[in-house]
Amino acid sequence: MEEEELEKAVHAYLRKKGFKLSDLALQDQNRLSASSHNDLVLTRLENDPVRYHDGYSKLRSWAYSSLDLYKHELLRVLYPVFIHCFMDLVAEGHMQEARTFFHTFREDHELMHLRDLQKLEGILSPSHLEEMELARTLRQSKVKIKLCEYSYDLLLQYLQKTQSIAMLGIINEHINFEVSAGKPSSIADDADVVALVGSSQDEAKQINQKEVRWGLLEDSIEERLERALSDSEKADVESKEVDPEDNKKRSTDGGKQGASIKKLKKDKLVGVTGKNVRSETSMVSMAPRVKPELPLPVMSIEDEQAILEDLRNRVQLSSLALPSVSFYTFINTHNGLNCSSISNDGSLVAGGFSDSSVKVWDMSKIGQAGKTTTVQGEDGSAQEHMLNSDEGKRQYTLFQGHSGPVYSTTFSPFGDFLLSSSSDCTIRLWCTKLNSNLVCYKGHNYPVWDVQFSPVGHYFASCSHDRTARIWSMERIKPLRIMAGHLSDVDCVQWHVNCNYIATGSSDKTVRLWDVQTGECVRIFIGHRSMVLSLAMSPDGRYMASGDEDGTIMMWDLSSGRCVSPLMGHSSCVWTLAFSCEGTLLASGSADCTVKLWDVTSGTKALKMENKASSGSRLRLLKALPTKSTPVSTLRFSRRNLLFAAGALQKS
Amino acid sequence: MSIVPKETIEVIAQSIGIPNLSPDVALALAPDVEYRLREIMQEAIKCMRHAKRTVLTSDDVDSALSLRNVEPVYGFASGDPLRFKRAVGHKDLYYIDDREVDFKEIIEAPLPKAPLDTAVVAHWLAIEGVQPAIPENAPVEAISAPSESKKSEHGKEDGLPVDIKLPVKHVLSRELQLYFEKITELTVSKPDSVLFKEALVSLSTDSGIHPLVPYFAYFIADEVARSLSDLPVLFALMRVVQSLLQNPHIHIEPYLHQLMPSMITCIVTKKLGHRLSDNHWELRDFSANLVASVCRRFGHVYHNLQSRVTRTLLHTFLDPAKALTQHYGAIQGLAVLGPTVVRHLILPNLETYMQLLEPEMQLEKQKNEMKRREAWRVFDALLRASGKCLYDRLKLFPGLLSAPARSPLNKSRLAVNLPNKRKPSTNLSPQQQPPLKKFAADPTASSLPPIPTPANFQGASADGYPAQPSNSGIAPSSSSGQMANEGITGAIRRDKGGAGGRPQNVSAVLSQAWREDLDAGHLFASLFGLFGEAIVSFVPLPEMSLLP
Repeated sequence: MEEEELEKAVHAYLRKKGFKLSDLALQDQNRLSASSHNDLVLTRLENDPVRYHDGYSKLRSWAYSSLDLYKHELLRVLYPVFIHCFMDLVAEGHMQEARTFFHTFREDHELMHLRDLQKLEGILSPSHLEEMELARTLRQSKVKIKLCEYSYDLLLQYLQKTQSIAMLGIINEHINFEVSAGKPSSIADDADVVALVGSSQDEAKQINQKEVRWGLLEDSIEERLERALSDSEKADVESKEVDPEDNKKRSTDGGKQGASIKKLKKDKLVGVTGKNVRSETSMVSMAPRVKPELPLPVMSIEDEQAILEDLRNRVQLSSLALPSVSFYTFINTHNGLNCSSISNDGSLVAGGFSDSSVKVWDMSKIGQAGKTTTVQGEDGSAQEHMLNSDEGKRQYTLFQGHSGPVYSTTFSPFGDFLLSSSSDCTIRLWCTKLNSNLVCYKGHNYPVWDVQFSPVGHYFASCSHDRTARIWSMERIKPLRIMAGHLSDVDCVQWHVNCNYIATGSSDKTVRLWDVQTGECVRIFIGHRSMVLSLAMSPDGRYMASGDEDGTIMMWDLSSGRCVSPLMGHSSCVWTLAFSCEGTLLASGSADCTVKLWDVTSGTKALKMENKASSGSRLRLLKALPTKSTPVSTLRFSRRNLLFAAGALQKS
Repeated sequence: MSIVPKETIEVIAQSIGIPNLSPDVALALAPDVEYRLREIMQEAIKCMRHAKRTVLTSDDVDSALSLRNVEPVYGFASGDPLRFKRAVGHKDLYYIDDREVDFKEIIEAPLPKAPLDTAVVAHWLAIEGVQPAIPENAPVEAISAPSESKKSEHGKEDGLPVDIKLPVKHVLSRELQLYFEKITELTVSKPDSVLFKEALVSLSTDSGIHPLVPYFAYFIADEVARSLSDLPVLFALMRVVQSLLQNPHIHIEPYLHQLMPSMITCIVTKKLGHRLSDNHWELRDFSANLVASVCRRFGHVYHNLQSRVTRTLLHTFLDPAKALTQHYGAIQGLAVLGPTVVRHLILPNLETYMQLLEPEMQLEKQKNEMKRREAWRVFDALLRASGKCLYDRLKLFPGLLSAPARSPLNKSRLAVNLPNKRKPSTNLSPQQQPPLKKFAADPTASSLPPIPTPANFQGASADGYPAQPSNSGIAPSSSSGQMANEGITGAIRRDKGGAGGRPQNVSAVLSQAWREDLDAGHLFASLFGLFGEAIVSFVPLPEMSLLP
């Protein structure tokens, strides 16, 4: 049908112009070359306006689902195709279709090209195209787009395969490709390209303007301790006839003073601690306070006392006083250890294995049993016998239930629960006291890469290959919130200290901060050049550190959404990050078999002082602690500021 | 398209039983195959990262396939990585090295050991930021380079003392072990045998014993501490040290810090050997010479070496609580380090020291003959040390003696002592000449004189040293007046009746003497005061003429 129409049209045209010879020649040629014809000419003559809509939407969805590596390049093609589709529709006089087309896809480009779109919106008739300066230049000039060889191939393949002639025509007509051999250009290299769908710099900027209340929770136990301390101090001073200044202070926060017997009890607890605790907590106490948006679980008195005890015994760390590091080495893992985690007090160590099992070691017990095991190693004859006798009670507790490799484990704040996530799309809750599986949470559709308990327990966050992160509570089997927006796998998740936000790191090379209550994305952190593998939040809630596949660690200021400073030093994947309890040190563990300690105060202070100068002094590396061919998979500061690290020994 | 050509598709098609795939189909399939491959790799890499690994395994690919709802590839055992081999004659063609396995072999092979169960072991990676040197931690060399570069950056700020001891792995051959055992055995059991002498020769010449040096160093340190009462063994050990020091093939520097304490011990320890007859003096002298040689040889490399040695020795010398034997050792040790050391460290303290030594040397004050003998030994050592120093001074500044030296002497209180005060040297009393010549001509004799007993000293004084004994006994009162006037004196501290200010004066002069290099004359004068005539023997012959 179409061919006949075309031929007729050409013949009519040639006849009209009096080109008889060429007409004949064309007929001959047409007969010879059967149905092979030029697509580009064809599209011109096609009149179906729906083709533009269909063609564009197909191209768009194809680009979105392409390989991560090439996605950002292919997405660059969409905008020029979009505006030319629109203008073609207008030019052909399909005004109604043009409008609907424009409004359907406008959103994609709004943030990036809002001004152009507003101008183009005003085009109401074909004649406007001629009149409007912008439209004319757009029609006349060609857009230059840089692509790598493979992206270009992919695009051509797609266009040929789908026979979307309208799109091919527009691309041929209006886009000049600069094809470069080799790898695709990285997003960060040219700032004004769309980083990834919906996360262009502009959009990111806009999102990052939302308010983030990064302060600490009101009435946290640290604060209460602090307050109790200052109260007791005041009481001391008071008894000795206070100076007027202190009295003023008292009157200002007199409202809070209505506190109760409970506080009195705390006074007793705290009285012993003295001033060193005060100085420690002072940095944290400077942070503003926010109200919790989630109903928080009630802490038992014993737990509270345990925390107080820990806070009292906390070692103060700084660039001059480095922490002690206790390293848990997994041996004989046969390359099967996928993840590990350490409970807050360091007494429990869990490992998730590729054989679907989770194993939990109680280190306090191993200390005692350790003697017998070393004896076993020494003389071979006794070995088997003793092993058999030991067989009854293994050194570890084995948790079986998953049906795929376990990718993450996390302990609840007091170590009584353990969560594990697996490639079987489920998360399981285990009780370390009963040694049994309590709940299986199903909701993700693909492997769950990471799961993290919230700082207060009860809630937890998970993230998955299905590009979502989810918030759960222990008592419900369905997720409370689903955070969707990442353009590739969400690889790691971390709670903010005030539990109102979670941060997620993704294979799309961005880190996002989500409001837990509303489920909205409130920050996008762009800057990493590869998959983000680890996240950590500073104890004062203001900063976040993220580590990536290349070994780069970035410090982010949550309130501004900007990078404070990159920390270079690791040569391979940064598996884990941890802030010390008073936030002065950052520890990082990497596949290059080192634990590195970074001084965080120098960088953040510099930033506080000179907010305008964005340079900010480099955070400095304090110490690199090499392990013996053991990649560091987990780090955790205990509440007493002892650093625990874990990793599997690799046989060379 | 770019990587997978259509020929590959054709080959794959043939391999799965499709003999004639049309070129069009192959051409269409090739790009899709490539795309799928890339997709699988992308997912497999994600799986690898989440398993916290940096090496891709076939398990990761299987997981990626199952993510995409594709049946995994069977037949690849995970565990060890696949081995690829290059095809002969092709540059970039590889194939998997897939051995044919005989079933019989597998069935008959003994069962492999059961894999060990996973376990967790804990250790300290760092204690307050410092890595303990335990086997669980990485060897320190791995970090030494970066830590140094880092130190230059932050060294002053954090100032953490990084005390890194390099672990050394030694593989000793059987022969060396035997050699070591033999030598140590000889040293301890038969230090007098001929064999031991040969062993010493071997130690000082053999080029292959370097690996043993740390063991020898340890052995010596250990053995010296253990057998302090066994003089022959100590002597043997010192000889071993001497041989080791002599050996040109040994790099002994790193072990000096282990050897030095042993040597110093042999110089200044209180009691060496358990018998009275043990000639520990000789051992002290020997060790002192060893230490001196070490200082000379390595002093320029280790600037604090000599200063540390001298500090130790001086400490001993100045401690009145220490035994005389120890003092002797200290003096000997300092003396062999050279006249400068003597001048700077011994001479300023000479005056006070003599006061201490004095009563020990006198028959009436010190009844114990052993003690007295020791005192005389010490006196002798002091005499020699100061004398050598004086000799050195006078050699350096020959003209100095004349004027100042004369002044104290010309008013000397004893006619007997220096009867011809204003006469030229030729007028020196004839009975003084022989001993002078003897001393000047025979330095060895002077360095190791026979043990002087009061008796033979008396004898000596009879034939040429009238000054000392006579002074002690005869002229305390007569001299004191003149001495006080002079300020510098030929007086001996023995006259207890002397003016209270005199010792200070004398030491002031002494200290001045070593401070002002030119004032050698005063030096002589004060030394003469302390030692009497004996010191004259150290005046070089040409200068002797200057003496009155």
